[in-house]
Amino acid sequence: MVEKYRHLYVVIEIEQGEIIPVSKEMIGEARRLMDKFNQKYSSKEKVVGIVLGNNIKELSKELIEIGADAVIYCDNPQLEEIRNTIYTKVISQIANDKKIGGQVESDYAEDFTRPRYMFFAADSIGRHLSSTVLAELDSGLASDINQLVIEDIEMSHQQKTGGAKETYEKTLEMYRPDFSGFLWTTILCLDNRNPAFKRDYHPQACSIIPGVFEPLEADSKREGQVIEFVPEIDEQDLKVKVISRKVIQSEVDFETPRTIVSFGRGIKDEPEKNIKLVEQLAKELNAEVGITLPISKKPFSISQSLDSKYMVPDRVIGTSGHKTSAMLYIAAGVSGAMQHVWGMKDSGFVVAINPDEDAPIKDECDIFIKGRMEDVIPLLIEEIKKQIQIVEA
Amino acid sequence: MSLNVGVIIKLEPDFSEGNVSYNPDGTLNRAETKNTLGPHSAVAAQAAFYAKVMYGAKISIGTMGPPIADLALKQAQEISDAEELQLYSDKLFAGADTLGTAEVLRVGIGKMQGEMDIVFAGHRASDGETGQTGPQTAWKLGFTFLGNVTSYSVDLETRTIRAKRLVSLQGSPDIIEEVEAPLPVFISIDPTFKSSYNTISQRLSFQKYQKEAKERVKNFNNYYKIFNADELGVDKTLVGLPGSPTIVYKVERVPKSTATRSAEVVDGSDPKQLQKVVGKMKEALEAMVIK
Repeated sequence: MVEKYRHLYVVIEIEQGEIIPVSKEMIGEARRLMDKFNQKYSSKEKVVGIVLGNNIKELSKELIEIGADAVIYCDNPQLEEIRNTIYTKVISQIANDKKIGGQVESDYAEDFTRPRYMFFAADSIGRHLSSTVLAELDSGLASDINQLVIEDIEMSHQQKTGGAKETYEKTLEMYRPDFSGFLWTTILCLDNRNPAFKRDYHPQACSIIPGVFEPLEADSKREGQVIEFVPEIDEQDLKVKVISRKVIQSEVDFETPRTIVSFGRGIKDEPEKNIKLVEQLAKELNAEVGITLPISKKPFSISQSLDSKYMVPDRVIGTSGHKTSAMLYIAAGVSGAMQHVWGMKDSGFVVAINPDEDAPIKDECDIFIKGRMEDVIPLLIEEIKKQIQIVEA
Repeated sequence: MSLNVGVIIKLEPDFSEGNVSYNPDGTLNRAETKNTLGPHSAVAAQAAFYAKVMYGAKISIGTMGPPIADLALKQAQEISDAEELQLYSDKLFAGADTLGTAEVLRVGIGKMQGEMDIVFAGHRASDGETGQTGPQTAWKLGFTFLGNVTSYSVDLETRTIRAKRLVSLQGSPDIIEEVEAPLPVFISIDPTFKSSYNTISQRLSFQKYQKEAKERVKNFNNYYKIFNADELGVDKTLVGLPGSPTIVYKVERVPKSTATRSAEVVDGSDPKQLQKVVGKMKEALEAMVIK
C-alpha cells in the first residue's frame, strides 16, 4: 500500500534562545509514541523537530539528545521574532516539502507527501500558529490535548465513510479534558472516505497542554539528522513589525509562598462573605489565593474589587493555569476535577474543606474536613491564631 | 476616512450562578443551562465599540448558530451599537469543527457591507475553549492575525494599527509585545482588554453611541438578517460535517485517578479535631523547612 503520510513533526518554540519546556515535553511524548508505532507496524517513521529562528542551528543537537530523530531548521534573520503570518507560511512550506520529508527517511522518499502527525504547544504562540498552519494545510486540529494514543480504528460514520465500515489505520486518538475537568473527549482527524466528498485530511494535528508530558533525559550519544530548510520569503508576509517586547511580572505569585489557599464553586451560598473568609485565612498563613477554572468564568456577582482581584484567569490552579508544589495546600469548596488536581497534586500537605464526602478531592488530600467552608474557616482561623506564628521573610 | 469593523461572536452556556446547571456528576447540564452572549464575545464587542467611539467605525456582527443565537446578536448590539447583524444558520452547518465553522464565517464576513478593515473575535469560547476559530477565519480571509490583543489604536491616514499583545509561555514571565501592521487585520481580543475614554469629546461620543445602541436594540429587526447556506453561497463540501476534518469519537468520564493520598476525615464542626488539624498543618510547614 502506498503511504503518502509519514513521520511526526513537532513544532518547537524558542524564547530567549532556549527551547521552552513544553517543546521538550512534546519531543519526549513523540519519542514514546513513535517507538511503539515503529514496533507495532514494523516501520521506521521519525520524530522530526521543526525549528525556526535566527542563529538557532545549535539547538538541533539538543533536540536530538532529547529524542528527535531529525531536525529541520530554518535560520533566517526575518524569523527572529515569532510573527504569525511568516511562521505559518514557512512551517506550511516545510510540511508540504516532499524533498525534505524524503530526506528524513530515504526508504519512504518516493511516496512522501506530508507529515502524518503534527504537534504544537497549547500556549499563546502555538495555539494560534497551529490554527493558521492547519487552515493553510486544510486539515484537522484538536486543541489542549493531555493524552495521545495511536490505534487502528474500525468504524462506520455517516459523513466520513458514507455509512460503510472502514478501518482507519494509525489513527491518533487525541484526548482533551473539557472545561469542567470531568469529561474527556477523544478527537480524531479522519480522511473523508465518503464517495460523495472524498478528501484527505492529513496531517492529524493537535496542540498539547504544557506540563502534562515528561521530557526525556538528554543523552549526548543519541544521533540524528540535521537538515536545513531554505524558505521562500515573500515581503508581503513581513508586514507586521514588532516595535517592542517587555517582560511583565504577574501580580499573583504561586512560586514563593509556602502555603496556597484555593477556593472553588463551594463558595456559592455566600460568595462575597466566603471569599473574604478565604482571604482572611490566607492572610493568617501568609498564603497566596488560588481558584479553580470555573471561578475564572465569573459565575457569581460580587463586589467589583473582589471580582477583579480573585475571579481572574491569572489565579487558576490547574491545567489551564498554574502548577504548584506548595508545602501546604488548602482546598476550600473545591470538588477536585482532574484539571485542578493536576495543578496541586505535587503539594506537600493537602487539607480539603468540603461538605460532600464523595467529592473527588477526598482522594487527593491528607485531611478532609467535612463541613461547609463558612462554618469551618472561622474555627480554623481561630485555631491558627493560637498555634501558628508566621514569620514573614 | 471610514473604518469598517466586523465582530464574530458566539452564543454560549451562561456560566453565571442561577443560570448554569450541573449534573450530579459535575458535568454541565446543557438542557437546563441558559444561553447568553459568551463573555469573550462580549469583550470583542467592546473592542469594536471602542473603534466606533474613537474613529466613528461602522460595525457589523456575525455569528453562526441556531435561530436562538439572535439573542447573542442582540446583546452584542447593545454593547457595540452595531448597524448590521448577521446570523448564519443552516442545518448543514451543524456539527462543524473549527475549520468548517471558519469557512462559514469567512463567507459571512464577505457579505458584510463594505470591505472589513478590522475583524474582532473573542479569545476563545467558554464551552468549547479551542480558541482556533478566530485565527482560522483570519487565515482563510487572508488577513493578518494578531492574537491576545490587550489594547490598540488605529492611524486612519496610513491605514495602520498598533496593538499590544499579551504573550504567556509556560515557565517564563508574561511578555507585552507591541506590534504595528497595515490594515486589514483580524484580532482575537484578550480578556484583559479595557477601553478607556479620556478626553471630553471621547466621553461625549461614548454617551451618544451608547444611547444610540439602546435605540437600535429596540428596532433590532431593522438591522438583523439570517442567511442560510444557499443565501451565503458556501461550498457545501467545505462546511458542516463534510468540511470538518475532525470528529468527536467518544466522550467519557475522566477515570477517577487512583487515590494518591488517603485522607483522614475530620468533623468540621468539632473545634477539638480542628485543633489537631492545625497542629498537623504546623508540623507540615516546619518539617519541610528543616528538609
